[in-house]
Amino acid sequence: MLYRSLLFCFLLIAAAAPALAVGDDAPDWLQQAAAAKPPAYDKDVPAVVLHQEQVVKLDSDGRLTTTTTYAVRILTREGRAYAEAVETYLTNAGKVKEIRAWLIRPNGEVKKYGKDQVIDRMCNPLDIYDECRAKLIDATLDADAGMIFGYQSSSEEQPLFSQERWVFQSRLPTLVSRYTLSLPSNWQASSITFNHPNVAPVVSGSTYTWELRNLPPIVPESASPVVTNLAPRLAVKYSPAEGSSAQARTRSFDNWVEVSRWATELHDPQAVPNEAIIAKTLQLTAGAKTELDKIRAVGRFVQELQYISIDVGVGRGNGFRPHSAAQAFAKLYGDCKDKANLMRTMLKTINITAYPVVIFSGDRTFVREEWASPTQFNHVIIAVKVSDETQAATVITHPKLGRLLIFDATDDNTPVGDLPDHEQGSLALLVAGDDGALMRMPITSPEANLLDRQSEVMMDADGAITVTVSDRAVGQKAADFRRVFRSLSRPEYTGMIETWVARGANGAKVSKVNPTDSHTEGRFVLDIEFTARNYAQLMQDKLLVFRPAIFGQMRTLSLTEAKRNHPIVLEAEAYKDTVRIKLPAGFVVDEMPDAMKLETSFGTFSATYEVKDGYLVFTRNLIQRTATIPVEDYAKVKNFYAGMRVAEQAPVVLVKK
Amino acid sequence: MKFSHPLATLVAPVLLLILLAAPSVLAFKDEEWRPIDPAHLALKTPVVEKDADAEVIFWEVRIDDGERGELEESHYVRVKIFTERGKELYSKIEIPFFNFTKIKDLAARTIKADGAIIELKKEDIFEQTKVQISGLKLKHKSFAVPGIEPGVIIEYRWREVVDGGGGGRFQLNFQREIPVQNVTYYVKPFSGIYGMRYMPFQVPDSVRFTKDKDGFHKISMSNVPAFREEPRMPPRNQVRPWILIYYSSNVSQSPASYWRNLGQRYHEFFKEWTKVNDDVRKAATQIMGDAATPEQKLDRLLEYCRTKIKNVSDDASGLTPEERKKVKDNKKPSDTLKRGVADGGEINMVFAALASAAGFETRLAFVGDRSDIFFDPSFANASFISPSVIAVRVGSQWRFYSPGYNYVPAGMLRWQQEGQQALLADETEPAWVKTPISAPQLSLEKRTAKLRLDEDGTLEGDVRIEYTGQFAIERKEYNDDESPAEREEILRKIVKNRMDTAEVTNIRVENVQDPAKPFVYEYHIRIPGYAQRTGKRVFLQPAFFHRGIPALFTQSQRQHSIYFHYPWSEEDEVTIELPAGYSLDSPDAPAPFRSEKVSDYKATIGISKDQRTLVYKRSFYFGDNEAILFPPNMYQPLRNYFDRVYKADNHTITLKQGAATAQAPAK
Repeated sequence: MLYRSLLFCFLLIAAAAPALAVGDDAPDWLQQAAAAKPPAYDKDVPAVVLHQEQVVKLDSDGRLTTTTTYAVRILTREGRAYAEAVETYLTNAGKVKEIRAWLIRPNGEVKKYGKDQVIDRMCNPLDIYDECRAKLIDATLDADAGMIFGYQSSSEEQPLFSQERWVFQSRLPTLVSRYTLSLPSNWQASSITFNHPNVAPVVSGSTYTWELRNLPPIVPESASPVVTNLAPRLAVKYSPAEGSSAQARTRSFDNWVEVSRWATELHDPQAVPNEAIIAKTLQLTAGAKTELDKIRAVGRFVQELQYISIDVGVGRGNGFRPHSAAQAFAKLYGDCKDKANLMRTMLKTINITAYPVVIFSGDRTFVREEWASPTQFNHVIIAVKVSDETQAATVITHPKLGRLLIFDATDDNTPVGDLPDHEQGSLALLVAGDDGALMRMPITSPEANLLDRQSEVMMDADGAITVTVSDRAVGQKAADFRRVFRSLSRPEYTGMIETWVARGANGAKVSKVNPTDSHTEGRFVLDIEFTARNYAQLMQDKLLVFRPAIFGQMRTLSLTEAKRNHPIVLEAEAYKDTVRIKLPAGFVVDEMPDAMKLETSFGTFSATYEVKDGYLVFTRNLIQRTATIPVEDYAKVKNFYAGMRVAEQAPVVLVKK
Repeated sequence: MKFSHPLATLVAPVLLLILLAAPSVLAFKDEEWRPIDPAHLALKTPVVEKDADAEVIFWEVRIDDGERGELEESHYVRVKIFTERGKELYSKIEIPFFNFTKIKDLAARTIKADGAIIELKKEDIFEQTKVQISGLKLKHKSFAVPGIEPGVIIEYRWREVVDGGGGGRFQLNFQREIPVQNVTYYVKPFSGIYGMRYMPFQVPDSVRFTKDKDGFHKISMSNVPAFREEPRMPPRNQVRPWILIYYSSNVSQSPASYWRNLGQRYHEFFKEWTKVNDDVRKAATQIMGDAATPEQKLDRLLEYCRTKIKNVSDDASGLTPEERKKVKDNKKPSDTLKRGVADGGEINMVFAALASAAGFETRLAFVGDRSDIFFDPSFANASFISPSVIAVRVGSQWRFYSPGYNYVPAGMLRWQQEGQQALLADETEPAWVKTPISAPQLSLEKRTAKLRLDEDGTLEGDVRIEYTGQFAIERKEYNDDESPAEREEILRKIVKNRMDTAEVTNIRVENVQDPAKPFVYEYHIRIPGYAQRTGKRVFLQPAFFHRGIPALFTQSQRQHSIYFHYPWSEEDEVTIELPAGYSLDSPDAPAPFRSEKVSDYKATIGISKDQRTLVYKRSFYFGDNEAILFPPNMYQPLRNYFDRVYKADNHTITLKQGAATAQAPAK
């Protein structure tokens, strides 16, 4: 098939490269935008958005027409990537009626891009079936620093909800960002602003316009909040006048219970067991002694089903509706909502009640309580009603429904009793009809996500070491180990471990790599044995110098910039490292580092050294808490990790007696 | 219609199959699923590789090129799933195709370990356009494999019919990303005037086409392990078993005869393209000026072509694709000289014309690409080599030049073209001449650092790195179409990748687009915690440029040969001003070592007369005598050698508070 993919590249390039019309005029709005004089930015800023605007018009039949205009000045060669127009649409529910683009060169020459240059593609080409498509014009090969790229598009859609979103900027600085919503007469709109003081609309009749100007760039920084929590964005809700006939056609939500009721109607009819499901559930739970054991047995079965997402009729709301439990069970695959639905259906057959929970996966701070909308979520997990007998770190309490065990039936690296770290602490909607509520997801303690590393080291007089390492990981740390282990073939995994060991001890010869995954218990054990000839350096034939922290850094966060723009986001984790080094005969410790202890509100770190019975025992412990640290405290975070690094690099000196 | 191996005329027995006209049989079209061997269902562990997640039981492909204007490929694949990872790898099947291709009769099923069968339903097969532009569509048919889990066998089959296809080149790959118990190709050649030929690569002699029924020819390989990438390995086409199938008008022609014809034909073109007239003669005389030796004359001609003629083939020429299209063709060398704008091929020709005008004998040289495959003249197919080099005779030797590629200095070619058999076109007797591999000293990384060490272990100072030869070509090519800010960012990332606390400022990147001068980095650096302090000592790694660079080879097993693209050398000089109150404590340098005729490592440590400045010098080269390719059994010795380099580079010396400096030779 190789020749075919090469052929495609060639054909695509050839097809996209017809001679383009040169000498056209740019439209007035683009010429006006191009005349704007942006301020001077840092040299790393690749482009500035001169103008971005959406004008959205709602027809009386409920159809939305959106006109988008966008102009960007490219400041550097890297800014060429922004010379691209993209409009997405859902097949059967919308269309991009027109998309055109222009490139203005510094000499004023204008290049126009029309329908012959429009690429139409699946949003996710890896999907088996995807109703989301994008039309795009790619001018990145023609663009260069100093040029202005602009595009205009017009699209139509039949929206599912009377709710819209507008993001005022990406990371790029933006001179003008405007969103206009034009409603039929007697309709009304309201808005909420996130990540920015409230932006009030200018209202003219039933047309609402929100605008921000001169937005600075959002500079990327390590351990920073994601850009969606930094860039100003708008949530807009619109509705017809009370009692209007149009009211029945619109779907809007005033509170989270309304969202819950709506979602319950989509989920509940799909959770009907059939005989095969009942039989399988009974088989799975036959040996289970406790409620938790039963949940584990069913949860494991569902997690192991292949993740496949096939949503037909997304524009009609099917992106929110799971396939029936019978369908998912028969095919043994499904997406997150299919898995959650199948699991609650199976639990239902053994008299355990469960509810779907909709959540945003990937950023625990994304969902905002003040905007009741199903569009805030991208994932479905499950809440299982449990008795007091079931004790787990992921149990939360609902005022009416009682104790609920939260579980992600899709993430097969995280067992029952744990929750993926990016979902912990997130606001998520319990889909339970009138009892539904936006709830804070549980947060497990740093100690519940511990990596405990024990190393036994025999050191020879020439600096060679023989090492036995045992890594014992629990919680999300175990999930990390598991994820890596499952993603690689066995030879690849062994090679990866060898490379990792060699990074700490050059020339290491690894003789044992023995991973043991205890998924149900949420544990992962990795036993390694190796030798390294030259670990300690023999100096002047009398000193042996080495780092007792064989496996370098516990935490790779590197904060070297003098200035910080955004808060620092830390995730909970704990690490314990104990290295017992049998000293070579004839050597004693001449120098070893002082013990260290660092304590802050976001974490603690300690390092100790002790010589006892011919052994040097080195320990280090890190406990890092989930925290978002304000930018004013940047120095504290920087100093904490710098101090940790000193301890990790510090050598021990042995001397010949 | 003939079907032959180009080596067939050289080695007996001759495989020249005259195929009889036969009605085309559309393989698999109406075929039922084949019976499942119970032994395969019962299989608990893989046959070919013990740790495999899944294993292909058989993979059959029938290529029917028998009909004019239509090419048909039929596939039948059966896979055993052993692990959860294997399940994930095979849970989705996607068959991509263009809109001029039809996918027919796609079917799949899963056979559970107990023999139960789950058929894929027609409605569970999706066809979508992945990408569409100007009438060209890349589509796919895809499906989720039902009921997949460890222990099952899955099988699927489909036909591809390409309208207007056939008569082209095919690559038959025998090795895939997972192990294969048996892979079989059936090929039915086109019945036109051209004969089908095949050329095997890394395929055992025992694996040969045999005549099958209905005009097909069959070739199989068994127990093929999965293909895995390894660091510093030869190109894929050099290690994987595969067969090239193509058509030729003369199937009985020997490679020698094939190349002779090609060389003679192209020499005619070459003569036309390099015609010397008065303008060219005059220009040659003027450019060479007072150059005395043949080498000097050629160097001046080369420099002129690289610096005075704008090369529109260069992606960093500043021309947009549109502007590039507008550039007129130069019909003859004097046009190129007059316009001063040309593509790489025209620059090659003008260089050859100038050299001819200066009295040199020149030839067009066809050279292979070592990054794709190590070319062998027995590969009698012109697609393996390109006429991209000019050979000039100096005395009894041929020298090779590549003026159409700006960054290649005199005396070198791009590494991809070095060490390759080059076909020198000629009107009577084209000849093969091997292009030399440039010596390590021609590709030099020369690094200097003037640094100061603080008492707290912080190291700070200025750095300069110069790259020449292949190093410079690669860095110029990588950086030349980036902005200055991005070039700085590239360097910053390189430095921080090995020392993540480093603060890098005052970056200068020089000569990025200069064809002749070395590529240069200059910057200021500050690294907190570079040296480690204990109560009474400071430990310092003087090989500053090697801090944080991981060992070259870390894995214990090796499947493929070890392959370095080109020989290289390194020269370091690091001076470190010591903190006040500290002095060297019996510093010793790592002992020198070498690998006879291939590599040499030397490092010295000295101290300035005032005892305040440490001077560390290191020289290293590798790949002398063109030693850049090593068989797998050389992996352990090579790994040991580079571990020794790593150890020497990580050598640490001690500074002691208040102690007198001892032993280090004064500089």
